[in-house]
This record gives sequence, structure tokens and C-alpha cells, in this order.
Amino acid sequence: MTDERVRNVTRLRSRHSWAMALAIPAILAMSACAGTASAGQAEKSGAIVRNGSLTLGTNGQEPPCIAPAENAGLNGPELSRPLTDSVVYENPKTHELEPWLATKWAVSADGLTYTFTLRKGVTFSDGTPWNAEAFKANLDYIVDPATKSPMSASYIAPYESSTVVDPYSLTVKLSTPYSAFLRVLAQGFFGMVSPKQIADAPADICAAPIGTGPFTLVKWTKGQSVEYVRNDAYNWGPPGTHTGAAYLKHYTVLFLGEDSTRYNALASGQVDVVDWVPAQNIHAARQDPSLSVLSLTTPGHPFSWWLNTARAPFNDLKVRQALLTGIDRAEIVNSVLFGEYKTATGYLTSSTLDYSKNTIAHSVKKANALLDEAGWGTRDSDGYRTKDGKRLTAQLPTSNAIAYRVQIAEQVQAQAKKLGIDIEISYPTSQELSQDALDGNYDISAGIWGTNTPDILWLRYSSKNITTADRIGLNVARLRDDTVDSLLQQARETTDAAQQAALYGKAQTRLIDLAPAIPFFDDQRVVAFDTAKVHGLSLETAYPAPYVFDAWTSEG
Amino acid sequence: MAAARVRRVAGAIGLRLGGAVLVVWGAATLAFLAIYLTPGDPAYAVVGGTDANPSPAVLAQIRAEYGFDQPWYVQYGSYLWRLAHGDLGTSYRLREPVATAIGQQLGGTVQLALAAGLLAVVLAIVVALLTAHRRPWIRGVSSSADLVLASMPSFWLGILLLSAFSYGLHLLPAIGNRGWQSLVLPAVTLALPLAAVLTQVLRNALEEVLEEPFITSARARGLSDTAVRLRHAMRHALIPLATMTGYLLGGLLGGTVVTETLFSRQGLGRLLLTAVNGKDLPVVIAIVVLSAVVYMVVNLAIDLVYPLIDPRLRRLA
Repeated sequence: MTDERVRNVTRLRSRHSWAMALAIPAILAMSACAGTASAGQAEKSGAIVRNGSLTLGTNGQEPPCIAPAENAGLNGPELSRPLTDSVVYENPKTHELEPWLATKWAVSADGLTYTFTLRKGVTFSDGTPWNAEAFKANLDYIVDPATKSPMSASYIAPYESSTVVDPYSLTVKLSTPYSAFLRVLAQGFFGMVSPKQIADAPADICAAPIGTGPFTLVKWTKGQSVEYVRNDAYNWGPPGTHTGAAYLKHYTVLFLGEDSTRYNALASGQVDVVDWVPAQNIHAARQDPSLSVLSLTTPGHPFSWWLNTARAPFNDLKVRQALLTGIDRAEIVNSVLFGEYKTATGYLTSSTLDYSKNTIAHSVKKANALLDEAGWGTRDSDGYRTKDGKRLTAQLPTSNAIAYRVQIAEQVQAQAKKLGIDIEISYPTSQELSQDALDGNYDISAGIWGTNTPDILWLRYSSKNITTADRIGLNVARLRDDTVDSLLQQARETTDAAQQAALYGKAQTRLIDLAPAIPFFDDQRVVAFDTAKVHGLSLETAYPAPYVFDAWTSEG
Repeated sequence: MAAARVRRVAGAIGLRLGGAVLVVWGAATLAFLAIYLTPGDPAYAVVGGTDANPSPAVLAQIRAEYGFDQPWYVQYGSYLWRLAHGDLGTSYRLREPVATAIGQQLGGTVQLALAAGLLAVVLAIVVALLTAHRRPWIRGVSSSADLVLASMPSFWLGILLLSAFSYGLHLLPAIGNRGWQSLVLPAVTLALPLAAVLTQVLRNALEEVLEEPFITSARARGLSDTAVRLRHAMRHALIPLATMTGYLLGGLLGGTVVTETLFSRQGLGRLLLTAVNGKDLPVVIAIVVLSAVVYMVVNLAIDLVYPLIDPRLRRLA
């Protein structure tokens, strides 16, 4: 999911360097101090220290609810995961699904019935036991329109009903086969909350969900921080983690919206960990001996420009292909993101299940030939191509709150001008932007979507997901292609993993031929921390977020 | 005589109150229109805009629950009705009463605004008294500094202060709302541009007064320069300072957003920003109304201060 990564990548460098120039003497003094501090702590004994506390600074994307199913925020799982566990666990290395609150599961041959066997001895922090009733209550609550789930409900839209077979066994019925069902359940957006809270105080779930997680909520100070304290009863960490309760006693997440403030808060020792390390600081963080860096490629759809295939000029395949091949995407990505992000090779990021590597060749010559073939052979006095006296123009309404998007837009605009394509960039308010998206009033729409299943291709490119009067869909390219529809529908319905991979492979190749979007880069989740103090920190992969259950700190 | 005076004062207060109600109504109406008329489906905004992928059932639920399916005049009427009863409503986005949402954020902003306002006034008085009517180079340096500070984006000023005092010298925290230490840098960031404007106003006023014949006669009586400035000139120059202070302080409540964002502080500015982006009408209206009320109260207080500064105004009143 998620589109708005306000300000978390590039800040305008000019201002930054100004400030830094003035602060250089001071910063030199500071790094000298930091150097001695880390040398003093070099003797890492390896023995785990319990009862420590950890402070993490994340970006300013504070969701309106912490409740897993009641937010669609970039930082939702980061905030809800300490409080809640999922039914299945995505192994961060193999990406295989492993048991968590469910010990095993079976899928019927038709893909419509899932039978879960649940873990015994797990309790929510309000004392309510975890069992089949609790799982059923959660699924029903997520899809209940009254819950107003902005995303989770759509992710399990085929869910029809569930039946308690025995206290620790639940049968789930889907209305259509849906191969992504289990995998989305591993995301932090599907953490389980207490059935007692669902029944008695559903209004409280938003701000203070009660889960089975390794921590409980102390306080959410809106606009500033979320504080957690250890759940001492916890003894059901996912496979590969330690047994017993969390090592940390206290855990605090601070919302530090300004990129420079956030990174410098770590560099000056005011927080222990920062999430969303800005692209311009990644290199410095890797070089700094007192800091360590964790990063992963976010599974899902790369940051892309979707081309509106429902209207001119991008209803013409050749014009789309010309833009896709005529732009030097690698050069743009490397310059805007400081060489820290990988240029996308297709419509899934390289860490997504069933990703297949393709190549999108860059050729200005081919692009020009395609545009000539498409009838845009003449140029006007400004050098832009024309057909029947009309200029080849494409409208890109986008957000100027995110610096990297603006920079990419401007660089593509400059390259497109050489091809003779006039890209007009505008920066409407976020509300106008949503409305333009709903109305189809754009030629190019910029965005990104993180999710751990290749079913994102169905969400983004199946003609079923084109926005209509009664349904908002994510197919903003408004692509209608029978082959893509059929491949993605089959992949969605098959229960055979090998067949599914083959179908997604074909779909990815077909999509590149259709060029419904310009994919730019695979998103990175980059976290940096104080090497001497923080140990055992990792990243969850199902929906990327720092995972602190195994973490411990060597001071206080 | 006394009765007439009471009547006159009561009348003035009545007029003020009537005006206040009109201002609140106007502010609420403008806020309603501004949000209502911006394009964008509010139901979609409530569940997260382009970030989200709500199902049709969820959108239908939101439209019915919040009355978005009603015509605009019904929505407007029901807002005014509730507002008139002191009910600020429930935030669409935060799913909690608006009063609670504002209550959580108000403290931080009030603290910041008061600290910055106080600092700005003290700085302005000290600098203006020291520099008014001095040698040209002193004036020149001071008024250039004013100009630079008044026109400097507070964002940039904040980054400079942070780089020096927090990241560099480790004297003060860069983030948060805890303790007086965390208030220093944001308050200074907010206060310096205000102080610069106030200094200019006060210095100009002082310089005008210092040209007056009664100053010459005071000096002729043998008063020291300090006494002339403090006792005679200052009193005259306070009127424009009070006016300008009222104007600036009144606007502070909604004007802290940049500082709050940079220093990651809680506050109304950030709440307002997310509410506007999320079409969270009840929150926007409540903050706008609150700002209008604060503006009126501050300016009423300033009006009451005038006669204390200048006895001539007492006779006129």
C-alpha cells in the first residue's frame, strides 16, 4: 500500500549544505566526542542485557489509528506490530510462510476453504484467550463496514465467512479462490486484536488496540510519540526469534517529520534508531563507524508513473513505449536518489514473490522511431512533436510535498523534451489530486505501493480495478488487456505455487510490452542505529517495519 | 453621570460581544466553505486518500455516518447548530471528539506561543531602547539585522539554530515537548522574526518621540539619557508596540506549524495541517474558530491596556 512518503527521501540539497556549512566547526567537535564514546564501548560482551529501553525516530507519517486494520499508513505496522501478532509469519530470509498464531493450515483443492489450527496458550493482554472464536471475531471485524478499514478489508475482500470447528480450529470460506490470502495475513495490517475489545469497546481499538504482542501500549501522545512497555507474559514469538518475553522493558517511537531533524537526532545521540533514513544520508550512515544500517527492498510495485491508457496521447501503445524506452531511467534514479536505490526492471520490485527479471532497454533512437510511426513526425517551433497541428502533451498532476518526486518529474520532463514530448507538471492540493485520480483527469499519475504479494499486479492492472462510479480501483493506468486480465485472474485463483510463478512471469513480460507505466525504482526501507548501544534489531519483511522483539540495548 | 457611564460601558461590551459572535460565525462559515468547495471526495479523504484502497461498502458506511450524502446546506446547518450548542463534533479522521483532539495539542502550542511572544517583546524593548537615535552605524547594524531576521524563513532559522546548539554543541534537545530545554530553540526560532518586526516598530516610534520638544526640555532639566529613554520616550512609544504585539500574538496560535514540524513538537498547527489535507471539517472549523476567539481576546486585552499606557485615552473613553 501507500503513496505518501512525504519528505522522506530527498530534501533540497542547497538549503541543507548551507546549514551544514555554518555548522561545520560544531559538527567536527561533535564527531570527535562520538568517536571516543564508541571506542569506549568497543568491548561487546555478547551477553544479552535485559530491561533496557530503546527510542526510535520515525518519519512524520503518523496514522490516525494504531489499530492494524483501521489504518493504511506507511507506519501502521511499525506502530501496531509491538502490540499485535499475525496468524502467519513471513520468514524474512526465505519469504516462506511459517506458523505464528496458527500452527498449521490447509487449503482445499478449489482454493475456497482454508482450515487453520491455532496455537494454544496464547492470551491477549486483557486476559482473553486466543482461539478460533477470537480469529473469527477478527476476520468479521475487519470486513465489517462499520470498522471503516481503509485497506485490510480490501486485501481480504474474497473472505465470506468462517466457522469454529473446535476451540482451536477455524474454517474460513472465500467467495472466490484467492492465492494471496495467507500471505497478506502476515502483514502488520492483520495483527489480531482482543475479541473482548471488538465486542465491548470497538471505538477504543483505533487508538489503543489490545493484542497478543510482546509489548502493551503505555501512551500515544499524538503528534509526538507512542510509548510501549513489555508484556511479561509473552512467550509466542515467531520462528527464529528467542523464547520468552521481549528483552527491552521500554520502547518509544517518536514522530520526527523533518528529514534533517530525524537523521541528526541519531547522529547527535538523541535517539537510538532512525527509520526512513533519507537517501542523502544513507552513504554517510554507512561510513559512520558508530552507526549501522539495515535495509531491504520493499516488496510490491516500484515507484512509477502510470500512463492513462484511456485517453490520448497514451491510448496509443507506441507513444507509451516511446516514453518507456526513450527515458534514461537509471540515470535519473541514480542522480535523484544518490545511487542508493535500484532502478526498477519491471512492474514488481525485486524482493516480491514471483518477481521475474526483465530488461527495459533505453534507446532514444527507438523512441523517436516509435513516435514517428505513431504519426507524431512533425515538430513545432519549440521542438515538440505535433500531429494534425496538435502538440504531443501529457499532464502530470502530482504532489510537491515529496522532493524526490519533484526532482524525478523535472528530469523526465527535460529528457522528454528532447524526444519532443511536452510533459506539463502541476502541483494541485492533495484533495484535488485525489479527485483528479477519481475522475481520470490526468495523463500521468505518480505513485508506489508496498505489499508482499504479486497480486499487486491484479490490483494495478486488472480491468476489474478501473475506477468507476461505484468503485475506486487502483488500476490508474486504466489498462484493459484480455491477456493480462486472464493471466492475473488465473494466478490469483491457482493453488499451485509453480503454476502461479509461471503465470506471474508471463504477466510481467506482457506488461512490459504494453508499457502501462514507467517504473523508476524499487523502494528501499533503510533504518540506521547506534552500533554500540543497539543489538538484535531486525526488519520485518511482510510489510517492512523495524522489529524490536529480539532487540536489546547495552545501556540504561 | 455614573449611570450614563455604566450604560456606555455596557453598550460597548454588548457591541463587542455581538461583533465576536459575528466573527465566530464568519470564521466557521468561511472554514466550512473553504473545505467544502475544495475538490475531493470527503469519504475518500477520511480513509486516507490515495494511500488507501477502501472497499465500496466502507465508503458507503462513511458517507452515511458523516452525512456526506446530505446536501451542503443540511451539512452546514447541522455544523452551525452543533457549534451554537458548544458541540465541536467528532473528528472524521481521528475518530475522537474534536475537543479531545484539540485539548491534546493545545498545551504545546500555548506554551510555545507565550514563550515566543514574551521573548519577542522583551528582546524588542531592549534592542530598540539601546539602538534608537544612536550613531548611524549602530542603527544601521541593528536595522539590517532586523530586516534579515524578519524576512528569513523560520524553517531556515530553525535549522541554523538546531545545527549550532543541538547537533553541534549538544546544549539543547532538537526534538519533543518535554521540559523547558525543549522549548528554548522552538521559542527562539519563532520569537526572532517577531522581535525583529517589533523592534523596527518600536525604534521608529522612539525616534519620533526623541525628536519632540518635551524630550529636549527633559534633557535640559538635567535628566540622564537613560532616564529620558525609559521614563519619557518609552511611554509614548508603547502604544504602537502594543498594537503590533496584539496583531502578531493573535496570529501565533495558527502560525506555529512550521516550527512545530521542524522541532517535532505536538501542537495545533500540525493538527490543522493534517485536518485540512484530510478534509477533516470538524477539526478545521474548531481550530479556525478557536484562532478567531483568541485573536479577539488578545486584541480586546490590548484595547484595555491602551488607557493604562496613555491617560489621555482614559478621558476620551
